Amino acid sequence: MAAPEVHHLFHRPIADHSFSADRQTLAVAKDSTVELYSKVGSTFKLKDELKGHDKTITSVDIAPNSGRIVTCSQDRNALVWEPSPTGYKPTLVLLRIARAATFVRWSPSETKFAVGSGDRVIAICYFEEENDWWVSKHLKKPIRSTITSVNWHPNSVLLAAGSTDAHARVFSSFIKGVDARPEPSVWGERLPFNTVCGEFLNNSAGWVHSVAFSPSGNALAFAAHDSSITIVYPTGPEQPPQAVISVNTQLLPFMSMIWNGESEIIAAGYDCEAFRFQGGPAGWQLTGTLEAKGRPGSGDAREESALNMFRQMDLKGKVKDDTQLKTVHQNTISTVRVFEESGGAVTKFSTSGVDGRIVIWNA
Amino acid sequence: MSIIQQHTSATLSDAWRTINIDALDPDSSQNFDISTLHPPLPEISEAEVRQLNGQVRQLLRGGDAEGALRGCLESAVYNGSDAAKDAHLQTVIEVLQSIKASEMTPMLQRIHQSQGGGELLDALMKYLYKGMSGGAAAGGARTPTRSLTPQATGGFSQIGGRPGAANESTGAAMSVLLSWHEKVIDVAGLGCITRCMTDSRRV
Repeated sequence: MAAPEVHHLFHRPIADHSFSADRQTLAVAKDSTVELYSKVGSTFKLKDELKGHDKTITSVDIAPNSGRIVTCSQDRNALVWEPSPTGYKPTLVLLRIARAATFVRWSPSETKFAVGSGDRVIAICYFEEENDWWVSKHLKKPIRSTITSVNWHPNSVLLAAGSTDAHARVFSSFIKGVDARPEPSVWGERLPFNTVCGEFLNNSAGWVHSVAFSPSGNALAFAAHDSSITIVYPTGPEQPPQAVISVNTQLLPFMSMIWNGESEIIAAGYDCEAFRFQGGPAGWQLTGTLEAKGRPGSGDAREESALNMFRQMDLKGKVKDDTQLKTVHQNTISTVRVFEESGGAVTKFSTSGVDGRIVIWNA
Repeated sequence: MSIIQQHTSATLSDAWRTINIDALDPDSSQNFDISTLHPPLPEISEAEVRQLNGQVRQLLRGGDAEGALRGCLESAVYNGSDAAKDAHLQTVIEVLQSIKASEMTPMLQRIHQSQGGGELLDALMKYLYKGMSGGAAAGGARTPTRSLTPQATGGFSQIGGRPGAANESTGAAMSVLLSWHEKVIDVAGLGCITRCMTDSRRV
């Protein structure tokens, strides 16, 4: 397995990152600006800064086809950045929320996006042609607490949301005039706006950090603060799901995850490394880490001279230098995203975290 | 001029920052019973706990320490009166104290690998933390430490005041809990601690 590609951008936490479809542009949320990096040779060089928010940016997403960038921030606003020959042009979106916006993602159709917030609502935003304005509709019931993450179903109507009230929910965000009527699926047939198609929690009921639909959209996974991931296989509308599988791990909690095909999940979080889960409706299990342990140059197998050893003991009071983690990321990983896909399988994925690094891994 | 002064005096007072706006919002989580978010757990009365503890003690006397440990962890009291919870904690600690140090790790591994064993270790971890927080209650003998502290030294009163320090049996109970804590983490990992902190079901 080839070594991961590491880009250490700065010494600040990265709240979220997103690559453009051609993977030449990288948007990174850093404090109250979004930095745009473009690929030069094998490194990323700072190209542009998007300044428009006045508080910490919590999430950023680039629409793959239109190239529009959406950002949301603790200042309770979301901005859509339209690419133009003279640079990116921001448009304010009316979110109508009284607390921080926490998470934003474009729908696969790119006509809508969903903004999670601390105001116990999800704002579904779409463009109203006649007013030349982005407007929002609120998904409100039965959310009881802050939304930590959202994930779109491939049909662009269903939306999964994870919340600090320990529930992962599936909503319909159908908007007349914007969406085509969705095909009936395991989640339901008639789907007016704010239909709750599923509401799940696991045994110990921890905060949900991340939610993800499988590529087909027929299964839902969520990661919670009790160091577990839970996979739900629904049967049909108004029926109990055919399988709800919780995998409690011995690790620290996972912050973000992606599906790789229908039978594999890659999750990463407070352990600073990515882990692989495999399984299906019959059962899931943790199969291991994606970190290649004991890489050359990781330092722990280096020969030490006696002189060096005593010098280290004199200077630092210890022989081994253990200020570095053995993982590539040196702090919590907060976002995992698909970087490259071929034939329905993820071949590369990218992670970013509190340590200011963007790492591109081979799945 | 006067306008500016008024404005500054208004901004200088930041009393408005301390208004609890959540209390004014009928939909906020403050005006909402969080326990309704989870499915209700069956309530266990003190009498049931006592009966169950009798069975566990019988297993213990019969030499089946693992069975006793499993028994009391499977019937962890999540919903019950404080008295019922304390009684159950007492039994769990008794079982833990009766298991030899050399048997701990193999027993934990057997439990962890069995069906639903992870949940049992999570419950055990909760009891370990509860036992540690309880201080004197964990030792069984509730000796009032206050009266034992010699008053003459005065200046060093805080030494005697520390729970457990003056009480041999409490100290011994703590060390049992600490060694179990270490062994449980070896088997169930740090995830076990995060689950303890996260879980809404308290023992």
